[in-house]
Amino acid sequence: MKRKITLSFFLVIGAITIYAQQKASTPKTFKYGKVDPTEFETKVSGIDSAARGVKLFDVGRSWFEVSPKTGNFVNVYERHIRFKVLNKTGYDIADLEIPLYRGSAGSEELLDYMDAATYNLENKQIVVSKLAKDAKFSEKHDKNWTVKKFTLANVKEGSIVEYKYRIKSDFIFNLRQWNFQSSVPTLYSEYDIRIPEYLRYKVTPGGYVPVNLVKREQINENYYIPASGQEKSGNVQATALEMKYVAENVPAIKAESFITTLDDYISKLDFELTSTKYPNSLYKDYSSTWPNIVKMLIEDDNFGHFVKKNGYAKATLPSIIKNETDPQIKTQLIFDYVKNTLKWNDRHSKYTSETNPKTIFEKKAGNSSDINLSLLNLLTEAKIAAVPVLVSTRENGAHPGHPLLEKFNNVIVQVVLGDKTYLLDATDKYLTGDLISYENLAHQGFKLNLDTDAPSGEWISLEQSTTSKNNTYYNLVLSEDNKLSGTLYLSFSNYAALTQRNKFTSAVNEAEFIKNYKKDKPGIEVKSFKIENLDNPSELLTETMEVNIEDNVEEAGNMLLLSPLLFERTKENPFKQEERNYPVDFAYPLEENYRITIEFPKNYTLDKLPANGKVKLPNDEASFTYLFSTEGNKVAIISKINISKSVFTAEEYGYLKELFKSIVEKQAQQLVFKKS
Amino acid sequence: MKTILFSILIGIGAAAHAQSPYDVDKIPAELSKNASVVVRMEERVFDLKNISHATMTYKTAVTILNKNGEEASSMQEYYDKFSSIYNLRAVMYDAKGNKLKDYKSSDFKDKSATSDGTIYDDGRMKELDFLNSNFPYTIEYSYTKDYTGLTSYPSWYPVSDFGYSLEKSSYIFRIPEGMSFKYIQSPGLKTDSVKIKDKTEYKWACENIKALEYEPFAAGLKNIMPWVSLAPNDFEYDNSKGNIASWKNVGSWLYTLNSEPQILPPAVKAKVASLITDAKTPKEKIKRLYNYLQSNTRYVSVQLGIGGLKPINADKVAAVNYGDCKALSNYMKTLLNEAGIASNLVVIGYDMPSMNPTFSSLNQANHMILCVPLQKDTVWLECTSQHKPAGYLASGCSDKNVLLVTADGGKLVRTPVYSPADNYQKRSIKVNLDEQGAADVTIDSRYGCAQFDDHFQMTLREPTEQRKRLINQLEIPNLQLNNFSYAQPDKNIPMLKENISLKVPQLLTKGADKMFVTLNLLNRRESVPAKVEGRKTYFAVPYGYQDEDEVTFIIPKGYTVEFVPKEIHIESEFGQYTSKAVVKENTIVYTRVQTMNSKKYSPEKYSAFVDFYKKIYQADKSKGVLAKLP
Repeated sequence: MKRKITLSFFLVIGAITIYAQQKASTPKTFKYGKVDPTEFETKVSGIDSAARGVKLFDVGRSWFEVSPKTGNFVNVYERHIRFKVLNKTGYDIADLEIPLYRGSAGSEELLDYMDAATYNLENKQIVVSKLAKDAKFSEKHDKNWTVKKFTLANVKEGSIVEYKYRIKSDFIFNLRQWNFQSSVPTLYSEYDIRIPEYLRYKVTPGGYVPVNLVKREQINENYYIPASGQEKSGNVQATALEMKYVAENVPAIKAESFITTLDDYISKLDFELTSTKYPNSLYKDYSSTWPNIVKMLIEDDNFGHFVKKNGYAKATLPSIIKNETDPQIKTQLIFDYVKNTLKWNDRHSKYTSETNPKTIFEKKAGNSSDINLSLLNLLTEAKIAAVPVLVSTRENGAHPGHPLLEKFNNVIVQVVLGDKTYLLDATDKYLTGDLISYENLAHQGFKLNLDTDAPSGEWISLEQSTTSKNNTYYNLVLSEDNKLSGTLYLSFSNYAALTQRNKFTSAVNEAEFIKNYKKDKPGIEVKSFKIENLDNPSELLTETMEVNIEDNVEEAGNMLLLSPLLFERTKENPFKQEERNYPVDFAYPLEENYRITIEFPKNYTLDKLPANGKVKLPNDEASFTYLFSTEGNKVAIISKINISKSVFTAEEYGYLKELFKSIVEKQAQQLVFKKS
Repeated sequence: MKTILFSILIGIGAAAHAQSPYDVDKIPAELSKNASVVVRMEERVFDLKNISHATMTYKTAVTILNKNGEEASSMQEYYDKFSSIYNLRAVMYDAKGNKLKDYKSSDFKDKSATSDGTIYDDGRMKELDFLNSNFPYTIEYSYTKDYTGLTSYPSWYPVSDFGYSLEKSSYIFRIPEGMSFKYIQSPGLKTDSVKIKDKTEYKWACENIKALEYEPFAAGLKNIMPWVSLAPNDFEYDNSKGNIASWKNVGSWLYTLNSEPQILPPAVKAKVASLITDAKTPKEKIKRLYNYLQSNTRYVSVQLGIGGLKPINADKVAAVNYGDCKALSNYMKTLLNEAGIASNLVVIGYDMPSMNPTFSSLNQANHMILCVPLQKDTVWLECTSQHKPAGYLASGCSDKNVLLVTADGGKLVRTPVYSPADNYQKRSIKVNLDEQGAADVTIDSRYGCAQFDDHFQMTLREPTEQRKRLINQLEIPNLQLNNFSYAQPDKNIPMLKENISLKVPQLLTKGADKMFVTLNLLNRRESVPAKVEGRKTYFAVPYGYQDEDEVTFIIPKGYTVEFVPKEIHIESEFGQYTSKAVVKENTIVYTRVQTMNSKKYSPEKYSAFVDFYKKIYQADKSKGVLAKLP
């Protein structure tokens, strides 16, 4: 019964299934160096039939020992893995890299043991090539990371490659993630962990393939305590919780488009320390509840304490907000000040890199937390109600939802102005209130209340309610020499505007920007270009220009053909695959409006127009409208694509695919003129 | 008293008006035009002590005008076991030239610089990113670098990219008396040399160079910007001394590096014997041994000191069956030798310019291949590939000067060139249309040489991935892929076959009661290169090729062909283009042949080049019109 209760908190994300011994899955044992000739016959079938290699097994063991150096627990992680190389593209399997981390305080990961070999079947005999001494390398990547590299000899198609290694780590807060799935199919994957009674971990599973918990029981373990000072060495007997997970016949993981990160879909286990209770010392709670997490952050020098240090804010605020009293304007002034003063170094972090905002403003640059918590610091000093919101960025993958601090890798700010709340992210100067960077569009964030008397937090939605619009309006005259001329008006809002603003500022100058704009629009010439609200990100970004367009009207006999979408036609269906296993994630709602009016010569007649139409998804969550109208020698065409929510389930994929299919078809229709 | 007072006044006045040297307002207007980056100053002094030791000091100040110039807002310098970097300093200034920030030595990152595809080497780097959100701003940095081993000297090429302008740059090179070196330089550049004590000092300098607007297809800026390349005659590196005064000497030195006896274990000797036992011609022997190499070895790159130039011995490779380009080429050479076939190692610049016949240096190459001279022709072997047909060189290796390493020293020779006709794509498409405009399509293609290379990777992918990529590549709206296959009929010939069959729900475009069909179904030119007024750089087509397409449309019942475009023929020095459509019974047969020459063209020809592509672009859009029979 006990098992079931524990399991209930495993089932956080809907799709994940961890079976508790319901399905028969007997753990297997493998001995290093003992390769059976039949293993050379392993073949892979089905979806992975052309895989470059296959994992025959991948077995991980993890336990704890007491470090003679520090007297603290270290995590021992042992991995034994055997591959069959199926073809030449799988030769990379014979090159192994193990990155090891060393913290600034001397805590480190050490490769304690390593062995590897290649096995080939020659004349029915297994020939072993052991890992040679001169095939082991150690690369000091930077001050924190060392990469141990190994390369194996005599690797051919059909070779079996085996690795066994052990890492001892001082970092026991988060244990190494165990992946049941990788870029090659896996026949058998097992992970066994033994956690001493003094430590408690939260296990977070993820992914879509079934994983069996085949063992979960209390066992007795001996811990050797090394001598220290007056104390003699000795053994301590304690109980430990052993858990063993098995997954079999796991397919290779494959990427698809419109996803957050592939890591969100891999079958895996994560471990985070929740509490410790050592003999003769008090129970220590780490992050097992949200209030505890918040409490920890409040006391962290690189989070709560950072926000509290108001020396710089006190000295600088008067010059930023001057005599302003309106909270809305004050917020805007502070937000602008931070955006214009601090440059983002392209790194996301929930912790600041310094312990004082002053240092950040001196450096004029920093990570996302340096910038956004400095913003929070100034806002707080200006008596604006503002709180931090923790985010796990799209690239970092979805947060599982339960109290788990480590999964967050970013922080933004929420301000309350009157009865309205806004999300602020100051890492890009074109971001505005509620327009947070794309990476933050992770659907939910965790809002913190840093009040020491009532530390708390809650999940809030990061969904964008405002649609990002991209409007293209042509007003053209068609001349008898088949040239189009007139005006073009473009406007962009929200994320469409953000992209466009960054495009503009990334060009050397306006001329270069126009050149880039023309690049994929053969036949267009641009005059009197005007861009408005470039540095006014809260306003609609607009571009107006006069255009002359050649080469876009085709003559076929006495007929003239014109694709009315000109350069804006959706030529390809972005959804090409027949089916999809994962949700489609657009990140934000969007709309593309296109309108063109063409005045054509009096001696031209317009052939029958294509039919108007509207295609939409159930509940109108996405739609496409296509309208023609004509009056005298003028014709107007309107095309509108609307995606009104950010995420569509795998089941809705078929609808989206059909919608875009009709967009491609309708937009390809031609206008036909007859010359008389 | 009066004079003192006066001088004080002047002093104060001067201080009040003292403009910082890096004030952005001081940049001449013509240097800001089209520029994202302005090199305010650059000074490099390379002081040679002897054949293995030197000290270099470097200082530069760069103004970043806008976001486009951000890539220049960092410092990166490489070092290894035979060099070290110290005296690192860096400062950032605002637009007015006021100091914003002094960087500490801990701000510089020390990182591994092991290149992609290499398991291990001793390359490292010092790196600093300058971050500022307010443009413009100026960065300044300097360092000293000591060398304890040298194979080459730094070159000077102060403006090597579009959008960069320069106020002033200089390069001073000092060489002790009694030592010699060689250099080549851009036309018109002045070389100053003076004798200072026991050294000769050479100096090259330039100033006020305007930024160049981006030009597509550019073949480098070397024809318009100043540059100097230097190289030693005598050098010492990792306890190895050499003379490279001529290509002959470079070859001799490399030959001696590799002069130890190359021994094969008995098992490999036996394997060689059995492989060639019934081979009739030397060519057949080469093929068999090369195929043996391909299926038994793999590429693993480890470069340490002189190991970056000297191949690992054959017995070592035989024991592990891996190695880098040098080790595998040398191993193949040893296998051939065992079979009684002589061959030569070849030093080559993969994807690099051809070696300069009048300027011998070690930094014009990055790769090694093998050359097997036969009586009638020569076989070139790329020994790092498990897939290349025997004797076929990729486009990065073909058509260039390379160094043949022989017992008599080095010889510059030319690798084979593949003509446009060799680099072919031959495609035959059948389109069976129905009355609704849907179509069944089969596409049979063959790719040769360079185009074989372009498509070969596809054969190594898994079927689901192949499918995904194919659907993306084929520019047919809403296609349904039925089946497809890839085959290389002969492993030793660079020819790939591709067969695809698919269905399109709506291939024809409807307009009133007509249907329009784009005749060039798959190989349309969809864009035209941008026009450039007053182009300055040479331009080039990377490799010549020839595409032949034939598309047969079977017209549905109830329709008649109302119109097909006239035959189009376009001729230019860049290539030829022909397309025509012939109506025969119920079919339209469209054929198109495009041949592109690979050449470097002078800047003034660019508008003709754009024009050529524009005509092709227009011709490729041609449509046929089908009308419903009454």
